[in-house]
Amino acid sequence: MIEATPIVEMRNIKKNFGGVRALCGVDLVLKRNEVLGLVGDNAAGKSTLMKILSGAYIPDGGEIFIEGKKTHIASPSDARRIGIEMVYQDLALADNLDVAANVFLGREAASKKLGPISVMDKHYMEQETKRLLDRLKIDISSVRSIVERLSGGQRQAIAIVRATAFNNKVTIMDEPTAALSVAAIRKVIDLINELKAQGNSIIIISHRLEDIYEVSDRMIVLRQGRKVRECPVIGKLDEFREQVVAYIIGARDDFAERGVD
Amino acid sequence: MGTRRSGILFIKEAKEMLLNNIREFGMYIVLFVIIIIFTITTKGAFISSRNISNLLNQGGYIAVLAVGMTLVIIIRHIDLSVGYLSGFLGAVAAIAMVSWHLPVYIAIPLVLLFGAIAGLAPGFLVAKMGIPAFVATLAGWLGYRGALQLATMRTGTIIIPNAAFNAISNGYIPDIPGISILPGVHKLTLILGVLVILLFIINSIKDRRKTQSYNFKVLPVEMFILKLVFVSVVVGCIAWVLSGYRGLSWTAVIILGVILIYNFIMTQTFLGRHIYAVGGNPEAAELSGISVKKITYVVFSSMGMLAGLSGIMFASRLQSATTTAGQLFELDAIAAAFVGGASATGGVGKVTGSIIGAFVMMSLTNGMNLMGIDISYQYIVRAAVLAGAVIFDVATRNRKK
Ligand SMILES: Nc1ncnc2c1ncn2[C@@H]1O[C@H](COP(=O)(O)OP(=O)(O)OP(=O)(O)O)[C@@H](O)[C@H]1O
Ligand SMILES: [Mg+2]
Repeated sequence: MIEATPIVEMRNIKKNFGGVRALCGVDLVLKRNEVLGLVGDNAAGKSTLMKILSGAYIPDGGEIFIEGKKTHIASPSDARRIGIEMVYQDLALADNLDVAANVFLGREAASKKLGPISVMDKHYMEQETKRLLDRLKIDISSVRSIVERLSGGQRQAIAIVRATAFNNKVTIMDEPTAALSVAAIRKVIDLINELKAQGNSIIIISHRLEDIYEVSDRMIVLRQGRKVRECPVIGKLDEFREQVVAYIIGARDDFAERGVD
Repeated sequence: MGTRRSGILFIKEAKEMLLNNIREFGMYIVLFVIIIIFTITTKGAFISSRNISNLLNQGGYIAVLAVGMTLVIIIRHIDLSVGYLSGFLGAVAAIAMVSWHLPVYIAIPLVLLFGAIAGLAPGFLVAKMGIPAFVATLAGWLGYRGALQLATMRTGTIIIPNAAFNAISNGYIPDIPGISILPGVHKLTLILGVLVILLFIINSIKDRRKTQSYNFKVLPVEMFILKLVFVSVVVGCIAWVLSGYRGLSWTAVIILGVILIYNFIMTQTFLGRHIYAVGGNPEAAELSGISVKKITYVVFSSMGMLAGLSGIMFASRLQSATTTAGQLFELDAIAAAFVGGASATGGVGKVTGSIIGAFVMMSLTNGMNLMGIDISYQYIVRAAVLAGAVIFDVATRNRKK
């Protein structure tokens, strides 16, 4: 059986923070156009692993392959350039700016250049933001609303729009459904399905196993900086939940012989 | 029925606009009230053309500092060193012309360049070393104070004999010769005022059309017209008052230039957008590929350059460089920035606001001087206004949450 090259492959990723071993040799594969769920207890290393992929952290060891090619990701800009975008756990929005400014943050459109000074094309950015919001069926009255005053669900949506605004290939979402109302969670899940339908490859981190169950094709469980489970998402929700929880709390471990010191 | 409903809608929208811009409007109202009060208490002396003209010339060097300080405050820092840096650079300008015999058109750009380079020092300490700006620039405050005393040690006050240089803060733009109507009125100033109003109206209409063509919401037409009329009346009044004395001073021209350039940068360019982003959420800015370090360097460097400009304006005003030049300028500039709507939590502040804030503080000093109020009470009144501005900021901020 010949498998297509995965869009992302991380091998033996290691990361320490001072004395804290956040990741001790994790492998991760993301196939093209799949949704991969990443779960684990608090401090398991989920965010750290994904921040390494998005260029926010530099790993202490390990390799990353993007579409089969070995790649160094040294900064968020590097990750962006190869089409990897991340929606951070704290959203990383500039609360003092409006919706359009946040969507285009760091990637503003220029109308002209005066030497080193680039003049923004505000109308283009606002129009484009409106189009992007419509594309993902997001309901925000004005692209000129200051982000500070929007609801949690709207802010989450803006962070997702920003991540997916520039034809990216891989979208990482760190707990996109945390602290949201049931209706807002529904919207985010619809959004993920919509993105998948549009060809995106997605990694989603969540503590809400029912959300993982609903959107993911496959899943990985991390525990104390190690991968303890990798499996397709199948079966009934209750069985799925019971099984995954066993891995999360450490009652079961598929890779017990590896990564132990 | 229909008109009544649109009337209600109008009031609702007017209210919303007022609430959304309450800090800005608040400032204009405060300035307006101050002007009225002083005009009454000084029996019109405050609003006289001569006094307003003087007020601009006296306050210009604080106004330009306030603009730079607002940028620094937007990125969540502070710069205490700019007062004595301004004094020191004023002395450097004097020495450049008097001792080095440099022509004025070389001395001025040189001093501005020195200022921009000097600003890199706190930029380095803050951005690279992670030292709090308060401490880093306090070191600058001490250092530049010493440097200023060294520079003026041998000669004491350095007299500047250069007429062109001294015109910067004492001279006025020439008038068009040979027009006999309106004697005693500065015609060119009036004409410029009218031009500004026309440009503003044309630009506003153009922008409104463009926004409409993109199907974006614009101000309701009544509000739009109200805004045009209001701005036109204000600009017209200023031009009329100034033309009654000797017209537009060079200081006013410099302030206008600084406003135009900085306002353009802050509202229209990538750089301005990134400065606001760094102030709003530095981590988010960094994750978006914006270099917080680079922005910090640029903002402190611009502050240093404006300190140079301020030093030049002050030295020109006194026609000399003195040992105490620049004393407390930094505090006046910080106060002006906060009164002008900058927020201590960062990310918020406007160039136009800082200028208004500077004029509020200058008007207070000037008006109370005219009234003969003792300096000790003056400090207390200014303290109250500053505290009021900050309390207002916190109060309106919490309400929005
Ligand atoms: N910037 C950092 N500095 C120091 N330690 C860190 C840093 N980031 C993460 N850690 C540590 O690394 C470990 C893994 O953290 P990480 O944020 O990746 O966990 P997580 O799985 O995302 O947890 P949560 O579900 O709570 O978000 C934790 O022990 C954490 O304290
Ligand atoms: Mg996390």
